[in-house]
Amino acid sequence: MRFATPSRRDLLFGGGMGLGSIALSSMLAAEEGPLTPKAQQIPAKAKHCIFLLMEGGPSHIDTFDPKPKLAQLHMTRFQKERNKFEANMNTGERYYVRSPFEFRRAGKLGVEINSLLEGFAGCVDDVCFYRGLKAESVNHPTALYHLNTGTQFGGDPAVGAWVSYGLGTENQNLPSFLVLPDVAYPQGGQANWSNGFLPAHYQGTPLRSQGTPILDMAPPPGVTPERQKMTLEFLSGLNRRHQAQHPGHADLAARLQSYELAFRMQAEMPGIVDLEKESPETLALYGIGEANADADSLGRRCLLARRLVQKGVRFVQVIAMGWDSHDYIDKAHGSRLRAIDKPISGLLTDLKRTGLLDETLVVWAGEFGRSPDNGIRQGSTAWGRDHNANAMSVWLAGGGAPRGAVVGATDEVGGSAVEVVHPLRDFHVTLLRLLGLDDGKLRYFHAGRDKQLSQVGGEVIRELVA
Amino acid sequence: MTKLYLLVATVALAQDPFTETVLPSLKRDCQGCHGAALALSGLDLRTRESLLKGGKRGAAVVPGKASESLLLRMIEGVDGLQMPPGGEKQKLSPAVRHAFREWIDAGAPWKAEGPAKWTYAEADLWAFQPLRRFASPMTIDGFIDAKLRERGMAPASKADRRTLIQRVTVDLTGLRATHEEVKAFVADQSPQAWEKLVDRLLASPRYGERWGRHWLDVARYADSGGYSNDFERPNAWRYRDYVIRSFNADKPYDRFVREQIAGDELYPGDAEALIATGFLRGGPWEHTAMSVEAVTRQMFLDDVTHATASTFLGLTLGCARCHDHKFDPLPTRDYYRMQAVFASTEFARPALPFLPSELVQGREAEKKALAATHAKALARMADYRKLAVQNLLKKHGVAREEDLPKGELAQAMNTGAGLEPLQFEEYKLFQKHAQIYKESLDRFAPKAFAVSSGPRDGETDGGPALRYAARAKYVPAGVRILPGGNVQSPAEAVTPGVLSAPEIVGGYRAVDIPETVEGRRSALANWIAHPENPLTARVMVNRVWQYHFGQGLAGDASNFGKMGKKPTHPELLDWLARSFIERGWSVKQLHRQILLSRAYQRGPAPVDAALVAKQDPDNLLLSYFSPRRLEAEALRDNILAAAGELSFDAGGPGTFPQISEDVASQPRHRMGSLAPPYHPSALRRERNRRSVYLFQQRSLIDPFIDVFNGPSLDLACERRVASTVPTQSFTLFNGQFAHDAALALAARAAKESPDGIRRTFELAYARDPEASELTEARNLYARSLAWHRQHPAPKPPPRKPLIHRITSELTGESFSFQQEESESAYEANLHPSEVTPEVRALSDVALALLNANEFSYVY
Repeated sequence: MRFATPSRRDLLFGGGMGLGSIALSSMLAAEEGPLTPKAQQIPAKAKHCIFLLMEGGPSHIDTFDPKPKLAQLHMTRFQKERNKFEANMNTGERYYVRSPFEFRRAGKLGVEINSLLEGFAGCVDDVCFYRGLKAESVNHPTALYHLNTGTQFGGDPAVGAWVSYGLGTENQNLPSFLVLPDVAYPQGGQANWSNGFLPAHYQGTPLRSQGTPILDMAPPPGVTPERQKMTLEFLSGLNRRHQAQHPGHADLAARLQSYELAFRMQAEMPGIVDLEKESPETLALYGIGEANADADSLGRRCLLARRLVQKGVRFVQVIAMGWDSHDYIDKAHGSRLRAIDKPISGLLTDLKRTGLLDETLVVWAGEFGRSPDNGIRQGSTAWGRDHNANAMSVWLAGGGAPRGAVVGATDEVGGSAVEVVHPLRDFHVTLLRLLGLDDGKLRYFHAGRDKQLSQVGGEVIRELVA
Repeated sequence: MTKLYLLVATVALAQDPFTETVLPSLKRDCQGCHGAALALSGLDLRTRESLLKGGKRGAAVVPGKASESLLLRMIEGVDGLQMPPGGEKQKLSPAVRHAFREWIDAGAPWKAEGPAKWTYAEADLWAFQPLRRFASPMTIDGFIDAKLRERGMAPASKADRRTLIQRVTVDLTGLRATHEEVKAFVADQSPQAWEKLVDRLLASPRYGERWGRHWLDVARYADSGGYSNDFERPNAWRYRDYVIRSFNADKPYDRFVREQIAGDELYPGDAEALIATGFLRGGPWEHTAMSVEAVTRQMFLDDVTHATASTFLGLTLGCARCHDHKFDPLPTRDYYRMQAVFASTEFARPALPFLPSELVQGREAEKKALAATHAKALARMADYRKLAVQNLLKKHGVAREEDLPKGELAQAMNTGAGLEPLQFEEYKLFQKHAQIYKESLDRFAPKAFAVSSGPRDGETDGGPALRYAARAKYVPAGVRILPGGNVQSPAEAVTPGVLSAPEIVGGYRAVDIPETVEGRRSALANWIAHPENPLTARVMVNRVWQYHFGQGLAGDASNFGKMGKKPTHPELLDWLARSFIERGWSVKQLHRQILLSRAYQRGPAPVDAALVAKQDPDNLLLSYFSPRRLEAEALRDNILAAAGELSFDAGGPGTFPQISEDVASQPRHRMGSLAPPYHPSALRRERNRRSVYLFQQRSLIDPFIDVFNGPSLDLACERRVASTVPTQSFTLFNGQFAHDAALALAARAAKESPDGIRRTFELAYARDPEASELTEARNLYARSLAWHRQHPAPKPPPRKPLIHRITSELTGESFSFQQEESESAYEANLHPSEVTPEVRALSDVALALLNANEFSYVY
């Protein structure tokens, strides 16, 4: 713990300013803090990122990378040897399975996408599809950790934490990295948005859809603002006296400042999460108010993501779960696609018309893709697809990503990426690059070595940078 | 002058083109089509053998002849055919192609051969050197004061007695001294008062709870396995209690080390030593039907290798998993040699009767409630099974279950045939819950979370069975160096061994590790826990120093290598380590030595702040005592203690605190389904135990502990940080826990004294309030009382059933279901509606006291 000569901040807090004083924010902003905005390391367009995480592993074959060959091979049986490098799930008697979905051509390039994505079809000219990515793990939590934190072991900083560490954030009254989870927390839990070894300021803060948006942001029932104000005044006096006894103890002032920030957040957040301020037309754009409860719920999170970005939040992760379709892929993926169509196309449309798309990188990705084959469980209608780390589809939009492009390709059945093939770490390096950060320079010294998101370094996937 | 050491080791060079470039490129650019999943053109590029063999077009590589090698011709595109395909855009970069050429011309060694020269500065190898010898008697203060004199800095004078007793009481027990204890110590003018105080605290059972928690941080302890199921480790708590007992009993540290690494082998029949091996299994680990066995086994091996080296030796050996350590003399070969020590280590959960000191009595009600919840989940499963039977009977037109085609029902319950998809989802959900509860019931079973040399009981940590050989036929898997840490690219085989650097650098002899099933870990443990091992005692002494002073003599407690901070007082560190060994590795003697020093008893402010800011801003020279914030567990425990709610029940299965309702009711994904609801322990005395006894679930960290920088539970934590973030203010000022504690504190103060306000100060701060504080507190109390008289507290609303919604993986549609209720009668916390307006008003004063800086900082 350091002793410091009194700074302006100490004088402010030691000098009897009451807690909750809003006037402080502009005066404090001039001082360097962990979340003070920092210059990009490399000039780039994107200032914010909205990461749409599709938990469970969406099938590239049934969404953005159709494989007509599978229609010919449908129900062709083969035997996959059980070996020590295969999961039990993926071995034994296997059948190729066709996609039960129809595809339509969309955008100037005529990219083939699932026909259920009617709204999204109108956005394709702003989207860059990437089919060359490979994950490493076929296990949900390890693959999720890998996608979210760069390693398969929980405990390292999430991408949003790295970006916040590198760039700080524009709005000092809000966390820099917010997470909008689905109804349930994903497998692997909160380690998916951890600050890891980075300071706690960079941790992802989950915004809850029910109750107060941030945990304990509101006092228990019966504790009115009036009561809180009385208690705070007394608390302020206690702290002033204590600080006078321990002059120069810098942490004390920092702790007072965090109470100030908490109360500014408490004041600002309800206005941000109140979607009723949006026009009925905007709500409808996102599918909010639809009979499809999942579309409504994801639409709310996507709209909230736009509002947060507008308020200067650096990184927002929106999670949509339910993509683990081992069985009944027609029903399971069908309903997922119906649920995401309006929310994601609404988000892209809205970002574009508000001029935010240029400075906001939107990422859509799951933790891995799915297999062209399946061990059939229940006759011919129940089939789905298993996990596949060798092929997947992700896409980028806005924020300096190419507009209307398809990069990379998978083999003729979608089993493996074969063109512009890159490991996940290169994708991470590319995301950082699009946000103006250089993975090689964005380092943090921990446990005896300089750590970085890509772990061992990686290369920018040039084709994904406009 | 810096002396240079030369180490010669036959290991892969860090700058080797193969490990740096060729192998990563083969994996990244080639193996997608020529690897595990596919071998197009019959070509597999995963091993040297398969490269030499080649595919349809012939051998891919001719060692020594790059230009004749098909692999190089392909990546150069010289024959009109280019790999990887995709034209100029996909062509490997010139640097990569050059690396391939160099490598093939060098004979295409899969492992780099030939001696590599390593150069290290002596200063970076300090930890591998033998401990210094000291001719004359020394003291801690002698070392510390000499440095201060050198820098012209005056030490702060001794802290006042009130500060001292709080400092040492928190330090040794994690709890503050009470007002009565402070008064007694201040009044005790005997010269032995401090020594007596230190001895009293070291003898307190609270000591082991505090210092055991420090060790559990380093040992990455948790009560669950992490990852997707995060299954309970129902007997892991016995390791936690073992650690606490060991500290309380002042178990010699060398024995403590031996027990954790090889207790089962070294002390057969000793229950404590068997429980101790739970350390080896402490890391997150899971094996599911979707896991690859070779990968999950490797995860365990990597974890145990890394954990052993960092915990006991203070080395970042994990860095050598993929390549030779870039800074320290830790070649990859050494990493895998040490890993081979654990190649015969298998999980075990043997029966082991409870020790008299293990508290499982008094938990019968909890066990009964858990069994009832389990039975309910089974009953719900049975309901769906009945339904499936009816449907199948109808389908087959038969009347009795036994008339169904053989295996049909089992198959149906596995695949969902016979039930509507959403019915099957609910069936799966209760099946998952039943599985989880069944595992939890084992908390009360006398089994040990342990290991054995060779397979013993097929223990799988909750997951599906692993493919073990029978014990009689068991051969430990051979260990090979895995370049890049990749389990699919094994290279050279290694035999078990210890690290080479301590011998090469400092002359501490390496020992042979037998290649038999048993005895490997014993040999390693004896090598580590040896008085001549230069690392072991230094590392432990430094950890202890760090917890006392807030920073170690060497600043990175688990990194004694080049990149770790160098010791500020290297002679002192060595002298303490020697004296630690000479005093029989007694941790309590070490505490005494440190606590009786003047350095520990200095005041909390520098004599000359300006000089300190310039010369020693981080107080590394200890001219004053650095204040610190209470860690998460200490903050929680002290809040409960002030409120009179802290329970000193010790040991046994972890208990469940009342956590934020919002977090408790948050649905959490478990593989293929949802976790059962979080149920806090029914009794207050169970919920309000010391934090070290709370159930440590990797996927559900107590939000109070988490927000105050608690450890992640997935990784070892060598030192807590104290970052200050706004969510901490929410927790302490708005959270239910703080409000409940403030109310209990107020009720206690009002009961114990006619002057409740004064008593609240005494209980929270162990001191009398100042006159001005008292005036302000009475002022708040009066205003608050007026408010509370006008606003009676409403009764708590009845608990609503917990409805969770989940997306069905079968249909992609959402469905809702009611989570199981707890089967225990819940003893609620004190509620505002149960107390007078006076107590409610006093609780506003109490809440402020708990939030103020004075409560959180120790000086």
